[in-house]
Amino acid sequence: MDEKILVLKNIKKAYPGVLALDDVSIEFKKGEVHAIVGENGAGKSTLIKIIAGAVKPDSGEIILDGKTFYKTTPQEAISNGISVIYQEFNLFDSLSAAENIFVGEKPGHGNLVNFKRLNAVASDIFARFNVNFRPDIPVKELSPGQKQIVEISKAIHKEAKIIIMDEPTAPLSIAEVEKLFEIIRELKQSGVTIIYISHRLDEIFTIADRVSVMRDGKYIATNMVSATTRKELISLMVGRELKTSYPGPQVMPSDKALEVINVTGNGVHNISLSVRKGEILGMAGLVGAGRTELMRIIYGAEKLESGEILVGGKLARINSPAKALKLGIGLIPEDRKQQGAFLTMSIAWNICISNIKRISKYGVVNRKMEQELSKTYYDLLNIKAPSMEQQVSNLSGGNQQKVVLAKVLAARTDVLIFDEPTRGIDVGAREEIYHLMRRLSDEGKAIIMVSSDMEELLGMSDRILVMAEGRITGEIAKSEFNQQHILELASRNI
Amino acid sequence: MNRQPKERFDSKRFSIMGILQKYVIIIVFVLCILVFGIINPKFLSGSNILNILWQNAYMVVASLGMAILLIGGGVDLSAGYEISIGGVIAAACLVWWNIPIWLTIILSIAVVVLLSMLNGFITVKFKINALMVTLGTMTIYSGISNIFTNQKAIFNLPAAFKFIGQGTIFGVVPLVAVIMVILIAAASFILNKTYLGRLIYAVGVNPEAANLAGIKVEKTKMMVFALAGVFFGISAVLLVSRTGSANASMATGTEFTCITAAVLGGVAIQGGEGKIWSVVVSAFILGILANGMQIIGLGVYAQYIAKGTILIVAMAFDTYQKANGTKRLKS
Repeated sequence: MDEKILVLKNIKKAYPGVLALDDVSIEFKKGEVHAIVGENGAGKSTLIKIIAGAVKPDSGEIILDGKTFYKTTPQEAISNGISVIYQEFNLFDSLSAAENIFVGEKPGHGNLVNFKRLNAVASDIFARFNVNFRPDIPVKELSPGQKQIVEISKAIHKEAKIIIMDEPTAPLSIAEVEKLFEIIRELKQSGVTIIYISHRLDEIFTIADRVSVMRDGKYIATNMVSATTRKELISLMVGRELKTSYPGPQVMPSDKALEVINVTGNGVHNISLSVRKGEILGMAGLVGAGRTELMRIIYGAEKLESGEILVGGKLARINSPAKALKLGIGLIPEDRKQQGAFLTMSIAWNICISNIKRISKYGVVNRKMEQELSKTYYDLLNIKAPSMEQQVSNLSGGNQQKVVLAKVLAARTDVLIFDEPTRGIDVGAREEIYHLMRRLSDEGKAIIMVSSDMEELLGMSDRILVMAEGRITGEIAKSEFNQQHILELASRNI
Repeated sequence: MNRQPKERFDSKRFSIMGILQKYVIIIVFVLCILVFGIINPKFLSGSNILNILWQNAYMVVASLGMAILLIGGGVDLSAGYEISIGGVIAAACLVWWNIPIWLTIILSIAVVVLLSMLNGFITVKFKINALMVTLGTMTIYSGISNIFTNQKAIFNLPAAFKFIGQGTIFGVVPLVAVIMVILIAAASFILNKTYLGRLIYAVGVNPEAANLAGIKVEKTKMMVFALAGVFFGISAVLLVSRTGSANASMATGTEFTCITAAVLGGVAIQGGEGKIWSVVVSAFILGILANGMQIIGLGVYAQYIAKGTILIVAMAFDTYQKANGTKRLKS
């Protein structure tokens, strides 16, 4: 049991501006279930990718079964017995389960496929896990749980010694989770090491033997699960100090600008919240908690199944983003390049597009009004570019974000939804965005900020709502802000 | 981590490469004229230049429609048969049904607009790629066109109607050329000066961002198809009034020339990019090529080879530029 199957030694990986992994060393034993926990952006994904050979580390060693590698390729990783089961399954939907298990090898003699053997081998593996579905049905007809079993079977067939599971229970029903745990126990018995990444701490206490904690790209500690507590894990995961200076509010929040009552749809359930003028409401939660999904409903980009949305105290039927904008709600989307900016167009063009009808007369765009409108916001947001005719794709991330914000403000919005406002933006520009947000809220705008950056959430928000699995799990007032508490609410099982 | 440490304004590269890319189409245009002019001086005669205008006015107008469609994120492979149907409808109105000329023109354009909007409707409502939709309607419209005419040509259009396509102003300037210039100005005005033009570019370049920017993407796309239909319809009237007769497949292949002209003129096949003036120049390059190849004695099939090659080269150039562009963005 104490034989080391995989040792990571002093792994470092830097991306421009961010140290994703900072001198990380972890040992994995043969036949153990080893969980890795950490907040969004702690470096878990990068670590998996390095083990799987998808990302090259800048320095450090990977000792796999006694062999030392400085980097691996995906092929080397697989042939050395590493399999990764990603959140998005890596299956061919139109091929059968058995064909998927055999993918990448020659299934039979010559050029013909020996389906009999394929299905027999698949059936054998399924039998071992005590599952019974036919190996010859196309993968697209399987449930998420069954697809996962196909993935695991594929790993077993490739004689995997280490199986990395990234949030394996996210798509599963409760019964399927039970089944998965049964399979994991069976794999453990036969000496396979499972590296288990999950946000759900309860599961870790159910299934894992040891748990390693990461924070900000650093390795923090490894504990025996039997010798630790939920509380201790969370305190290891947080414990960060605020580095940036965050501007505080100058005004008291006034009337309710937006109220959401019992809203259900697009994967979120029974959500109620409100935000006042002059207030910044932070939305905390783990990736996939349903925050962006909720914001898209409020903005009319997804369908509201039931519930009510009140804007300025009046019931509003928001069935399209166009309607939302008309009511004064603006969205600064998560994916700036795909959803926010028109990259090949000029800054002025971008700023005016949501407002283009208002600055037109008889269908013709009034050039003077266009110039004035874009100049107003160009100056207000201090966008840095040689001219307003500059193509947006040539700007830095921070300036692109300002252009998107300018576009939303130019549409005369007073409820602003920022979805990950500073993702991929460097520190200087970040602070500028924070000051802008605070200035807007002081001017009486109501702001909802979805963020996965804990520091930003604590620094900017006047109040925080926490979501988990499509529901609100708690509300925290500014005086009671506490990372540990937020994390606990965010990883709560419902 | 799409962090960019500082702004990248590579002014030198922008000026040389930028100007070259911007005006490459003019260079090609001049080159074409020079080559054919040197091989056969008859090509440069006044009568031949007028001839090129006569022959290509309807094509330029149709190319305007296609350019608008492509910029708005659509495409129309059925344009050739839409124009054919517009032509036979006009001829039928005049010859079979004795409908007045002004009403004939309106009816014929209206029918083409409807056909184009049907393409738009199917594309938008069933979320099918416009390329596949119009591949289907191309066949459907060809069937309709042939059944409608019973595969017979319609002759003897009234002289007053033929004046549109054959008449001149002040004895020299072809009326079709005047109409063409007006329509070029109109297309350019719509795309550059009106808010509809902004919306067309927006839905073409990034429909997702357009939706989130409060633009009604489906409605705008329908407008794009309708607008293209107007240009195709006018193109049909110009064509049938010049030839003086109509038949079921009188404009087949127009769609190919139009798409080639648009792509050669720098209209991005994925939508959202393109300038009217360069599409017009490109349409004339293709017209000159056809005319010039005829004059130096190369047949119609050699022209096919030339046109197909041009389309592929233009697309390859476009893709190459795009790939380079994104590489620069990522670096």
